[in-house]
Amino acid sequence: MDRQPSAPKVVIIGGGGTGGALAHDLTQRGVRVTLVERGEITSGTTGRHHGLLHCGARYAVKDRESAVECIEENTILRRIAPGSFELNDGLFVAVTDAEADYEKVFFESCQAAGIPVRRVDRAEALRLEPRLNPELRCAVQVPDGTMDAMRMPLRFFATAKRNGAEIRPFNEVVGLTMTDAASPRAVTGVSVKDLTSGRTYEIGADLVVNAGGPWAGKVASMAGVDVPIQPSPGILVAVRGRYCNMVVNRLHASGDGDIVVPQRELSVIGTSSWVTDDPDHLTVPSDHVEMMFREGSMMIPSIRGAEVRATWSAARPLIGERGASTGRELSRTFKCFDHAADDGVEGFVTISGGKATTLRAMAEATADVVCRKLGVDRPCMTREVVLLPHTEYYA
Amino acid sequence: MTVREDRTSPRRRGVYGWVDPRGRRLGHWAFILNRLTGLGILLYLGLHLVVLSMLATGPNAWDNFVSLALTPVFLAMDVVLIFGLLLHGLNGIRVTLVGFGLVVDRQKALFVSLMVIGAIVLVVASLHIFEVG
Amino acid sequence: MTAQESPVTEQAQAPVDTHATSGTGRHVRFRVSRFKQGDQRPHLQDYDVEIAPATTVLDALTAIRRDQDPTLLLRHSCFHASCGTCGMRVNDKEALACVTEVSDLDCDTVKVEPIANQRLVSDLVTDMIDFYDRFRAIGRPLLRQSEAFPDSEVAPGVEEHRRYESCIECGLCLSACPIVASDGRYLGPAALAAAQRTVAEPRGGDTFSVLRLTDDAQAAWRCHLSFECSEACPSNVDPAGAIMFIRRKLAGQRVNSIFGRRS
Repeated sequence: MDRQPSAPKVVIIGGGGTGGALAHDLTQRGVRVTLVERGEITSGTTGRHHGLLHCGARYAVKDRESAVECIEENTILRRIAPGSFELNDGLFVAVTDAEADYEKVFFESCQAAGIPVRRVDRAEALRLEPRLNPELRCAVQVPDGTMDAMRMPLRFFATAKRNGAEIRPFNEVVGLTMTDAASPRAVTGVSVKDLTSGRTYEIGADLVVNAGGPWAGKVASMAGVDVPIQPSPGILVAVRGRYCNMVVNRLHASGDGDIVVPQRELSVIGTSSWVTDDPDHLTVPSDHVEMMFREGSMMIPSIRGAEVRATWSAARPLIGERGASTGRELSRTFKCFDHAADDGVEGFVTISGGKATTLRAMAEATADVVCRKLGVDRPCMTREVVLLPHTEYYA
Repeated sequence: MTVREDRTSPRRRGVYGWVDPRGRRLGHWAFILNRLTGLGILLYLGLHLVVLSMLATGPNAWDNFVSLALTPVFLAMDVVLIFGLLLHGLNGIRVTLVGFGLVVDRQKALFVSLMVIGAIVLVVASLHIFEVG
Repeated sequence: MTAQESPVTEQAQAPVDTHATSGTGRHVRFRVSRFKQGDQRPHLQDYDVEIAPATTVLDALTAIRRDQDPTLLLRHSCFHASCGTCGMRVNDKEALACVTEVSDLDCDTVKVEPIANQRLVSDLVTDMIDFYDRFRAIGRPLLRQSEAFPDSEVAPGVEEHRRYESCIECGLCLSACPIVASDGRYLGPAALAAAQRTVAEPRGGDTFSVLRLTDDAQAAWRCHLSFECSEACPSNVDPAGAIMFIRRKLAGQRVNSIFGRRS
């Protein structure tokens, strides 16, 4: 890996899964990377999700693009991060006749999206997962899995760090350094405060990437640029006890409380959706907690009586026009904004949207844009490079 | 098994981590009492040897010591000594058993039962000791 | 607190934020350990936070950071006792801040300090590098066989039901252990528990060399049975039980080797 002093320098703002995967991709292409994050790595949205290794089935009917992305990345992640997932597959369970009717279009849409699926009748479903609602009509087996929401992305950070990237948690960007308004505007670096000491300093960069997740809008405004990020929180409930080994989903068009993800000795019921302007202030509404139990027990009745381990909220970084009322209508794909083209600001790129499962794909798309702008002619390696174990981050 | 040298000021709590009782539970009390009684018994051993050496100086010194040994204060210290011996010895049985992977699940109950036995023996011993005086 | 026209009606219409950190009227003082690079030693700083019944210590600390003092640093990620990053000492007891409800502490002043026996970076943030160093020789298996529903069928295409090991690498066990406190060379409960898991369920690993690594005066034999590690563990790892399991195995090997030679 060449690390010439003349290699271009990129600063990534944001230490979530996207930032980490991008740091890995860019270092693989010979770019010098410094990543700054104001808190602990993955302390934003990345660490908080229920840990689903998505197979895309949930989007097969309404959002084909997302579904195809998901299943491709699902396969790639299993290859580049082996040993990081509970790989017991998943079930989509129909508990009403209407849902049983929906099964046909669901099944065919999954097939069309390239998601390997298998029909499962009621008797077999109950043999696979004894705690399922005995009233279920039928089920579909899908290649879902469980990931450790923090440790899996941490492998990207570990690999990037080993290959020379500088990862700086507890370093907060307080401003962007930019050229004068007279000449074509360009971002030339970042002003950072090292929160462990209070010292402020600057990092010069050939390009700055905004991977701030739900905070990407705030970061973009530091460059005088408007990025249409709509933070969209949802609630999650973790209960004690492993109520299933497979991920259990409700076989219907996307809705609230329709997934139970097993994790170690816990089961996580999710999720719901609302919109907010302040990702730093997420509430945990009591009616949503009740709704998780109500909906969750439609799939697994005994989960009703489970002991709560934790209730919390996480904000999805959805892209779209502001004004959406619940967040579910917004597209789930990710988008890379090159602000030179969109807003006349050179040296600044924003990546947002996406899902935990598609972090590598988001990074690839962003790295392609970044490398094109910087004149770096190296292909993406991240589909094949096996990541270091997460423990190597602490070496 | 080497662990990396501390690069910055280490924050190991040191022996304070042994004796700070806040937030600690039964197993830790057994641990710290074993150490304290062990030190106590060691101290007693030293004193015992000193006393025995008095024998070498003749019957007068010994008789003086015996009359001292029969005073209530001294008898009370004997009770403390027996308490220490019982605690250390009985907990020692627990440490030996549990420390080789036996009775691990019931180790708290084992500690309590052994201490109850110890308490009974201590009461009987104290009664005997003070009868002599 | 401002008076409201009809608070009861207000509550009935709007869902309650179960983790609220303001507007509840129940005030709690948080004494938080503060330390910045360059300071001589940490000091305690007081903050006032209002709490709701389900408000956790982590909620309170993030609210302090957001509303009162943006210089306060802490580690957190998953909010549900799975990542292990928010380990702290709360009122002198090791705990995960994200699942410690303030109302369960049942007091008006909550002291929050970083976990002990690790290097302090700033405020409540410790450097976990020594923690992970201990795993290096032993290994850190991430997946194990799932004990849930052993009689259920396994779906075609799935080899067997697997789940993550219980250990979430929070470091609470090392913070609570009196031997780690006084001897930096002790391998410690977390790594020893990981070793026991490798021995109990090999998964193609080399149990012989792992056992040999634990058979050391600074490894399995260094424990003095305070059992604080198992008390502190939020994830049912039972490191103390694991250490005793290893000792039994090692002792058994010794005995076997003695009798083995005879026969």
